[in-house]
Amino acid sequence: MDNAMNDLYQEVVLEHKRAPRNFGHLAAPTHQAQGTNPSCGDRIAVELQLQGEQVQDIRFSGQGCAICMASTSMMTEAVKGGDVAAAQALQQHFRAVLTGEEEPDDAPLGKLISLAGVRQYPSRIKCALLGWHALMHAIAQHGGKDDAATVQAAESDGATLQASTTEAP
Amino acid sequence: MGKPHPLLPSTLPVQALRAEFPILAESIHGQPLAYLDNAATTHMPRAVLAAMQDFEQHQRANIHRAVHTLSQRATDAFEGARATLKAFIGATAGHELVFTSGTTEALNTIAQGLWGAGPTQAWLRPGDRIVVSGLEHHANLVPWQHAAHMTGAQLHILQPDAEGRLHEADLAALLQGGGARVFAITACANATGERPPYEAMLAMAKAAGALTVLDAAQVAAHGVPDMAALECDFLVFSGHKMHGPMGTGALVGRRAALELLYPLRLGGDMVEDVSYERARYAALPMRLEGGTPNVAGAVGLAAAARFIDETGRAAIDAHIHALREQAAAGLAALPGVRVLSRDSAAAALVSFVCEGVHPHDIGTLLDQSGIAVRTGHHCAQPLLDQLVAGPTTRASFALYNTTHEVERLIAATARALELLR
Repeated sequence: MDNAMNDLYQEVVLEHKRAPRNFGHLAAPTHQAQGTNPSCGDRIAVELQLQGEQVQDIRFSGQGCAICMASTSMMTEAVKGGDVAAAQALQQHFRAVLTGEEEPDDAPLGKLISLAGVRQYPSRIKCALLGWHALMHAIAQHGGKDDAATVQAAESDGATLQASTTEAP
Repeated sequence: MGKPHPLLPSTLPVQALRAEFPILAESIHGQPLAYLDNAATTHMPRAVLAAMQDFEQHQRANIHRAVHTLSQRATDAFEGARATLKAFIGATAGHELVFTSGTTEALNTIAQGLWGAGPTQAWLRPGDRIVVSGLEHHANLVPWQHAAHMTGAQLHILQPDAEGRLHEADLAALLQGGGARVFAITACANATGERPPYEAMLAMAKAAGALTVLDAAQVAAHGVPDMAALECDFLVFSGHKMHGPMGTGALVGRRAALELLYPLRLGGDMVEDVSYERARYAALPMRLEGGTPNVAGAVGLAAAARFIDETGRAAIDAHIHALREQAAAGLAALPGVRVLSRDSAAAALVSFVCEGVHPHDIGTLLDQSGIAVRTGHHCAQPLLDQLVAGPTTRASFALYNTTHEVERLIAATARALELLR
């Protein structure tokens, strides 16, 4: 149990879980999307206020585990005020670290480095990526080939993450 | 903690039984494995492993086809397994048992088989009513959603109350309108442990003219229903939840009911006579068993049934229920913990939610202590959405679990809550 507390549940992670940043709704979002994890039913909805290429504001809502909530909370802090391309680049670095394609020390993750330990827990990677998955879908509404490619990469992480745009009969 | 639980009877030689399950000697993160995910999959004793190995070494051949000796041995092993399992479930001469890959395939075989014959021949027609309990896992809900969609029948859910209980009066009200052609219910809800009054409900639905379906997957290892005593047209179960191999299971049914099912797997071993233009299908049970079956799996499944009977069904049942009571009482005493179906004395599992802490986080910390539990929706999302609006942590018990393991579960959960809150 103590290993997991060191690897997964660092104090900064638990602090974000207890008091997630940018939690709630925007008055008039320009873009929004929801990510779901069918294995646990967790849902994260991300709302964006984009102006041109800039993420002017962002909020998220929904429920998830500590890893999911902390990851999404840190994500909103990291992308708010930046541009769409920077958000996509950060998502790619974060995903690459979690899937073992990039070393944590080589990636410009900032505070998100506290979640690098998730790579040791493959069943939890999808928890850390759920909010990012929703973000990429929200950005994809922006249009463009690069956006579509980013969403596809996000989807390939976790076979079990869904954007739920269609329903079975 | 530390003392034997007062409710636990000592009729089961648990330590001797544990020695029959090699996997229980595993260490997980340096801790002894406490395997408490039996509602998802149970482990196999040496007797089952040996039966399957013996088949593969001395009997393996294709069945029902060749004239050579090995083929006859394999055919005898397969049909012998069928006879063993029919006896295990209390099937009479009026029943037949069809081997499947498990409960999900069995339920799909029923639901799809009831409309597969087409709009003029099939049992299900537009305007018919299909009644499904709200306690079901997805495998006993989604095939019925699809059947309703394909036929124009209406799907009605027998809704549980806020505590997750089903009531006979609610079923009576649903049946009162007439037109119920199918009623499907579980013998035990896998997400909560609730044990509905399925005997009475099956009888009510049968009297109303419906075909009745009982999902016995969650009780096959300890509380096997007696088919002969039930108003039940179809009963299904899985091998891997009763100490048998994965990818095995059975659909048991009244012959007349099984005859209603249009065969979905067309091909070898399910035909009697074939020309280029048409085929005549074989009689039951082969009509529903197209293709080469999992013969070693069937042999292993029968060995699992014998293992359960030799161990003693009543003793297993009592042991598991006592573990459940110990776990439910201990967990409910922790601050902010709610145990679902707290009073379901017949349950083999305890499902709980913890205020302010997500099940995935508890599950990861318990795993660090060597304790395997399930977290999530347990393939029963509508029920958990209704009862707790989210996922749960679920510990589920088998004959090899001990009071000490339950104590570890309670202590580790308490510690996880302390760390995560």
